[in-house]
Amino acid sequence: MTEDHGEAFLIPKTSLVSVVDDDESIREALPDLLRQFGFAAEAFASAEAFLASEFVSETSCLLLDVAMPGMSGPDLQQELNRRRQKIPIVFITAYGDASVLRRLLARGAVRCLVKPFSDAALLDAVGAALT
Amino acid sequence: MVAQPVVPASGWSGFRAFSGNDADAGAVATDLSNILDTVEVPIVVLQRDFTIAGFNKATADEFGLSPSDIGRASRDISRLADLPSLEEQCSGVIASGVEARTDFRDGDRWFVVRISPCANGESQVSGTVLTFTNVTAFRASIDQVIYERECTKAILNAVPDPLVVLSADQRIQSGNRAFYSMFYELASLRTRLKGMLAGGSAFDPVEVDQVVPGEGRRRLILHAHPLALPEHPERRVLVTFEDITAGKQAEAANDLRAIAERKDGLRRSEAFLAEAQRLSLTGSFSWRVSTDEITWSDQLYRIFEFDPGMPVTLELIGTRVHPEDMRLLRDRLERARHTGTDFEHEHRLQMPDRSIKYLHMVAHGTRDEDGRLEYIGAVQDVTARRLSEQALGKAQSELAHVARVSALSTLTASIAHEVNQPLSGIITNASTCLRMLAADPPDLDGARETARRAIRDGNRASEVIARVRTLFTKKELATESVDLNGATREVTALLLGELQRNRVVLQLELAQDLPPVTGDRIQLQQVILNLVRNASDAMAAVDDRPRQLLIRTEDENGDGVRVSVRDAGVGVDPQDMTKLLDAFYTTKSDGMGIGLSVSRSIVERHHGRLWAEPNDGPGATFVFSIPVGQGP
Repeated sequence: MTEDHGEAFLIPKTSLVSVVDDDESIREALPDLLRQFGFAAEAFASAEAFLASEFVSETSCLLLDVAMPGMSGPDLQQELNRRRQKIPIVFITAYGDASVLRRLLARGAVRCLVKPFSDAALLDAVGAALT
Repeated sequence: MVAQPVVPASGWSGFRAFSGNDADAGAVATDLSNILDTVEVPIVVLQRDFTIAGFNKATADEFGLSPSDIGRASRDISRLADLPSLEEQCSGVIASGVEARTDFRDGDRWFVVRISPCANGESQVSGTVLTFTNVTAFRASIDQVIYERECTKAILNAVPDPLVVLSADQRIQSGNRAFYSMFYELASLRTRLKGMLAGGSAFDPVEVDQVVPGEGRRRLILHAHPLALPEHPERRVLVTFEDITAGKQAEAANDLRAIAERKDGLRRSEAFLAEAQRLSLTGSFSWRVSTDEITWSDQLYRIFEFDPGMPVTLELIGTRVHPEDMRLLRDRLERARHTGTDFEHEHRLQMPDRSIKYLHMVAHGTRDEDGRLEYIGAVQDVTARRLSEQALGKAQSELAHVARVSALSTLTASIAHEVNQPLSGIITNASTCLRMLAADPPDLDGARETARRAIRDGNRASEVIARVRTLFTKKELATESVDLNGATREVTALLLGELQRNRVVLQLELAQDLPPVTGDRIQLQQVILNLVRNASDAMAAVDDRPRQLLIRTEDENGDGVRVSVRDAGVGVDPQDMTKLLDAFYTTKSDGMGIGLSVSRSIVERHHGRLWAEPNDGPGATFVFSIPVGQGP
């Protein structure tokens, strides 16, 4: 994929996409790809770490792992709702369980990406979250 | 009557003749008169003309005669007038000189009157002497005896059974009416009685048949009772006949009825047995080993589908026995033939329509008094049971398969997770790499870095696959010898990355020389994997202490192997301990918590046990133990 991808350019470059995932390779790889798309990116190893950071209110889109030790992805979603932090969430999960995905979408997730996913799918999901 | 002329002892007779003669004669007369007066028997002397010549004092007392009556005719004396034909009798006595007797009733009294000739000195009969012997008491006793005899006779005649009294020479002395009416032939009875009368031995009752005219054959019991009359020399025997014909007939009738009832009962039990055999699909047989004679119940004919009554031979049976079971059955029967012991045997029949029947045979060996062996047995058609057992077995294996599949799907999910993480990294890094290379100017350093990361993730994925392959190689889902140390190591190697990411500090304490258990390696590894995952999850929220996870294997004194997984997590409420093992119970929100129930059912299929115990410190320990040398 290249910069030719139309919609990406309609999105302000400054949008911050935060990645919360306990898998280290994801935390390494995703922010780099997101930056290639022109977004600002931050990675967090856990939901707690994200909540504790100064980026919560600046985050325009949250790429959130589902299964994590401690606070899980859905837990964080619930916590943000409680805090009235309206951050569009794209779940990323290694478990492709359809019922879990349906439940997450029903709770207001923008998209669910099942690992592994393509850069196009990622851009599409983040784009959907930002519009 | 005594036919003897009476000659008076002395020359005197008639008191008047002597009165007034010489002194001697007068003395004799006085003496005689005194003697006569002392005799209590009335004595009257009559002249030839029947006038009273004299009488003694007893006569005066008894009949009220007075001295003035002397010289009067006897017929004019009222008390003597009742003597019937006195004058005729007296005339007869005077004419013959022979004494006569006659009965005389005076009011309530009875007298026997003896009329004796009275002779004078010249042996001429001058008159008669009447003596009156009072027999009133005697007559009364005779009457009583006669009456008693009549009563006895009446009683005996009323007895329906014959009675007879025999003399010693077996002449009939008396018999009752029944005896005479039956008219027994006594020849055989005589023989029997002879012994008894000769020896005086006891006479046991004898049962005899007697044809009675007009009544037919009667069955009688003869009882003999010796009649011992005190101071009576004659020996007699009372023979009683007890007619038991009616009793015998009733008995016979009862016997017949009893036999009929028994037959009826037998028929009923036979019917009952036949019905029971039909309902239970059980037939019975007997097998005389020496002759190979075989008898079958109807039900057995139905089971074998032969026509009832068809002669049964071992050859005939052989035509129905399933060819594959023939040899075993033959061996079994041969063994029975020689040992005579009880046996059970199952075999199949192959019916003409190729359908299969399963039979269960139980046989009991018995020997008759001559030592000949006979087997009595039952054969049950257990086809339905066998088929349902097979169906059950199939269902069970399907269930086991489902359990394995569900265990596998859990494992698969875990593997997918492990593989998808690095795959995701590879794709993302590769995408980034391409973009960096395509940039103007290309970010070569960045591209190099992301490419390196992609390689690293690729290696990671391949490691996971390698581990999974180890997990699955040579893994038929069958029983095998399982080293739980090795199984534990493989599982932890698979989970190592996950545990590290969860900041779990893993510690293994694997027992040396752990005996292998028999079971399904993959299923047991699934259990370990579940327990380790759960332990890891239980510590996800723990930040104030090390997330310590201890896996320990122990030898249970050679009886079994114990695997315990100890975490330092939030622990388990003791009340939830049992609930934890229930299906579908999970404390986790994402629903991926593996059912501990699956683990428990796996352990239990291995005859083991799975349980949880709280730790002294924080957290809980999940333990399972598998007995050694016992396959699932």
